[in-house]
Amino acid sequence: MAVTALRVPGRSWRLPRPSTALAAVLLVLLLACVLFPGAVAGASPTETDPVNALQGPSAAHWFGTDQLGRDTFARVVHGARPSLLIGLGATAIAVAAGAVVGLAAALGGRVVDAVLMRTADVLMSLPELLLALFIVTVAGQGTVNVMVAVAIAAVPAYARLVRAETMVVRGSGYVEAATVLGLPRFTVVLRHVLPNAVGPLLVLGTVGFGTALINASGLSFLGLGAQPPSPEWGAMLSEGRNFLDTAWWIAVFPGAALTLAVVTVNILGSRARHRLSGRTAR
Amino acid sequence: MTSETTAVPPAGSTAAPAAAPAAGAATAAGDQAGRIARRGAARLARAVAARVAAVAVVLFGAATVAFAGLQALPGDPVATLLGPQTTASPAVREQIRDEYGFDRPVVVQYVDYLDDLVHLRLGESYQLRRPVWDLIADQFGPTAQLAFAALGLALVLSVTAAVLTAGRRGVLRSAARAWELAAVSVPGFWLGIALLTVFSFHLRWFPVAGSGGAGTLVLPAVTLALPVSAVLAQVLRESMEAALDEPFALSARARGLSRTAVRIRHVLRHAALPLATLSGWLTGTLLGGTVLVEKVFARPGVGALTLQAVETKDMPVVMGVVLLAALCFAVISQLVDVLYRVADPRLRKG
Amino acid sequence: MPAFRDRPGRSLGAALMAAAFLTVSCAADDKGGSAAGSGPTGAPTRGGSATIAVNAEPSCFDIHVSPQDITASIERNVFDSLVSQDAQGGFHPWLAASWEVAPDLTSYTFKLRTDVTFTDGAPFDAAAVKANFEHIAAKTTKSQYAASLLGGGAYAGTDVLDPSTVRVRFNKPFAPFLQAASTAYLGFYSPRTLTDSADKLCAGGTHLVGTGPFKVAGYTKGQSLVLENNPAYRWAPATAKHQGAAYLDKLTYRFLQEDAVRVGALTSGQVDAAAAIPPVNAKSVEGSSGTRILRRDFAGAVYSLFLNTTRAPFDDERVRKAVQRGIDVGKNVEAVYFGQYKRAWSPLGPATPGFSAALDNTWPYDPALAGKLLDEAGWSARDGDGFRTKDGKRLTVSWPAAPGQVREQRDILAQAIQADLKKIGVDVQRPALDLGSFTTNAYKGNYDLLDMSWARFEPDLLRLYFSSTSLPSSGGQNAAWLSNPEIDQWTAAGAATLDKATRADVYGKTQAWVVDHAAVVPLYSATTLLGVAKHLAGVEFDPNAWPLFYDVWTTRP
Repeated sequence: MAVTALRVPGRSWRLPRPSTALAAVLLVLLLACVLFPGAVAGASPTETDPVNALQGPSAAHWFGTDQLGRDTFARVVHGARPSLLIGLGATAIAVAAGAVVGLAAALGGRVVDAVLMRTADVLMSLPELLLALFIVTVAGQGTVNVMVAVAIAAVPAYARLVRAETMVVRGSGYVEAATVLGLPRFTVVLRHVLPNAVGPLLVLGTVGFGTALINASGLSFLGLGAQPPSPEWGAMLSEGRNFLDTAWWIAVFPGAALTLAVVTVNILGSRARHRLSGRTAR
Repeated sequence: MTSETTAVPPAGSTAAPAAAPAAGAATAAGDQAGRIARRGAARLARAVAARVAAVAVVLFGAATVAFAGLQALPGDPVATLLGPQTTASPAVREQIRDEYGFDRPVVVQYVDYLDDLVHLRLGESYQLRRPVWDLIADQFGPTAQLAFAALGLALVLSVTAAVLTAGRRGVLRSAARAWELAAVSVPGFWLGIALLTVFSFHLRWFPVAGSGGAGTLVLPAVTLALPVSAVLAQVLRESMEAALDEPFALSARARGLSRTAVRIRHVLRHAALPLATLSGWLTGTLLGGTVLVEKVFARPGVGALTLQAVETKDMPVVMGVVLLAALCFAVISQLVDVLYRVADPRLRKG
Repeated sequence: MPAFRDRPGRSLGAALMAAAFLTVSCAADDKGGSAAGSGPTGAPTRGGSATIAVNAEPSCFDIHVSPQDITASIERNVFDSLVSQDAQGGFHPWLAASWEVAPDLTSYTFKLRTDVTFTDGAPFDAAAVKANFEHIAAKTTKSQYAASLLGGGAYAGTDVLDPSTVRVRFNKPFAPFLQAASTAYLGFYSPRTLTDSADKLCAGGTHLVGTGPFKVAGYTKGQSLVLENNPAYRWAPATAKHQGAAYLDKLTYRFLQEDAVRVGALTSGQVDAAAAIPPVNAKSVEGSSGTRILRRDFAGAVYSLFLNTTRAPFDDERVRKAVQRGIDVGKNVEAVYFGQYKRAWSPLGPATPGFSAALDNTWPYDPALAGKLLDEAGWSARDGDGFRTKDGKRLTVSWPAAPGQVREQRDILAQAIQADLKKIGVDVQRPALDLGSFTTNAYKGNYDLLDMSWARFEPDLLRLYFSSTSLPSSGGQNAAWLSNPEIDQWTAAGAATLDKATRADVYGKTQAWVVDHAAVVPLYSATTLLGVAKHLAGVEFDPNAWPLFYDVWTTRP
């Protein structure tokens, strides 16, 4: 067998039991922040109060205030939506594009398959972040471009997966039977082939979501992402970097939030994989 | 293969485009060379050639992708090249257009570009006016230093963690797993910021800046190594657990070797093989990671060069770095593939 | 005072982005703080070394090619000029012992010093001047800035009259030449350098051979540039504090772009000086026992917001006025710059000639008045998000974010302004554009707000900023798109005379008009903050507020 290498650290995390509970709690918290940020944090994330700038964490400001006196807690809470949406958007685009490319490669004949898969090989030979940087250079910065760049960098992995799953299903009896029955190819794909690939795709998507979050916030951190004053976590980290020695809380709390979000996603991904492969976590 | 690593969905095969035939040739070469010595050399040469060809195909693809990206860049290349701070006259602009040949047909530019690549000419940086090759060669040292330091540290951490926790239950193992989960989930740049805050700004144990001396290497290497070590430890532990159940481990124990001795002398060696499957991911993570780590710690290096090039749209440099990454990836994949076959006899008989 | 555009042909986009840090021309007076400060006193001593952390790295080291400040600033140590300019704008001998200007300003004749040699041993003479100026003007040099300083198309040639006399000719009157000749951009390479290694100059390193007090000893990209003393140096300009060789044996520049890292390097003693100290760190650097801060005010047009007066909603003066009074400029500038930069009342900085102090405190923060003005203008309804509306349309203004590296925390200040305007119901959008779209939009006036600053010791900036002859559509910088005959007349009158009273009068009226009609919202006037270790003495600033190291000595044993 040829040596294969992992693109995403999509390891099967066998986790201590409390992790499920932890993930559940974190997920509820994150969802609350995304859906009802105003209810979670009373203060406004954009309202400035220069008099109270750079205050440390206190009862009034749990996570302290930033240079303009904005409440860091409110900014972290309100930042959940844009930060997670970029990751989610990137993953959705990547999964959709990966499904299309993978199906096309599996069903489109030899030449199409060769061209698509060789292109995927080349793209996979580049680190995702570097590839995303390259795309942002060409397309220009901005939230949407970062989302697309992160997505494109992730497409090859999904495309390969869908192609492999499709190849397996294509050779199975019921697909052949459906084809023999005279169903249009498109219908066969839609009804029989795609549903079989959905499970693995979702699992990979969950893992990929964590990576997308990290990559997107990395690009924001480099100043290529969300536009201010949107309290996106990566951008907040970037701003807070100038205050490491005077006001550590500006950079530390959004980073912690980002880490917890990725932890949640990784636990969920691990659970999903075990569920799919019919095993139970130890 | 042994571990379940390869069965996990995202395990996209990263073998080079021509790797399948190349791999076949290599396997065949291994067998033949053993049996018929006089034909061995020719076979070996062919096997090497096949692997080189595989690398070349990846590079050709990366070069094509990079060229397509350059063409997709909006706006006048001369304006991009000059950047915002300029009072260059129209005559100077014409001169530049002429020298770089921007007015030639795309196909001609593409062929010339490939021709340059074949002759190892990566072009000249738009902004720095230096050959891209020189720039990358200059900056490769600090980056390689950082990447290898991180790799070494990650190996030490992961082997220690795996040896201590494989096949055992209890608090230590749970703690190790929780730690690994946290380590893969933490964004590298934030980890760097946190380490910088604590150890440089508050405790003042390490210098804040640059790349002089070993002291400046510690925090960046730790930043880059921690997430990597978590993944390695996971893989190692799983394959160690598989190996611990094998008869040879039991017989070693029966011969009176201590648990730890068995783990280190027999099981670890056996279990290290699946690590090779991670080489592609590892190369990518280390190379991609240096971009952010170099930014956070203000270190010079290929990552810093890349960022500067991205900010100024210095396409020749960006393209050079893309090619470098692809080259590293393809070469390491091939090398690991060869090593793997040499190390694991089971594969040679396949 | 030279009354000229020192950078003819600058594009608007370039001006918007780069104007302020591409400072050419004269300096502020000494108001901004003296270099003597609280450093060591006593007689200067020779020997020792110093390391300076700078916030940018030259992308091209060729002074004849690069338009970058950092290139000229660093290489001032390596290259000398024909003349030197003092802080009041006067010119003094340097490599030229004397000079004569033709009455019609079409030629300048320089009598050169005869004792000057390059660090490779070659003599500095008229032929060297000619070789350098021809190199700058040559199309193949691809000069991005020096060629325009040399007159661009107006440059007609350089004649060697005798080995120590040289004449520079122009094909039309070219007044700015003396000032240009005092900059490092028009410095002199050894003729051998130009014939042997002209193509390697951009890359930096020991190819850069000049006549200056230091010579290049080594360069490592991404890390540092090392300069060492030129012991033969005996031709310091009259504006320097001493003659003979520089005091320091070795001068090292380290490139540390990250603010926190640069400050950390200074306070932990890894470097002896750090440029561009972020205002947030100024207090701690000053409070530390081992370091102090040298300050120098920028002169020129302060960082301001320009309101596009030709487009709704800012075609209505009441809306403009509301925005001007609805931003708490004082508090925001104080918060973002920690009291280090001054809040501005006029589009000109206080250190600029022609500055009108009459505007001080005339337009304080008044959100109530702003609300009233907006109500009067018909923007009285509010939508669900709290923004004002008129006829169902939200009061939204577009302020494109200039691409490229943000400096001086202007992005943070912009967020404060956004937040203030949100309070009075104005929605400020900040689209992030790539350079191409940004410039195109700026020229076409596709924006409501634009921000810029321009460091220049010259009130003629007001003509470039507000005269209808300088509209962006014709390549100018009139970002408010003003077309007012009075302004045109005043600024033209100011440019046509050197009479101080007349200039004070017309420029004062111009400043009052543009603030009064809210074409502009002046924000802050910056200050150079150079962090210096206590053992370093003698740091002077050149007219651009760049630090000079020729007179610097160290008391560190």
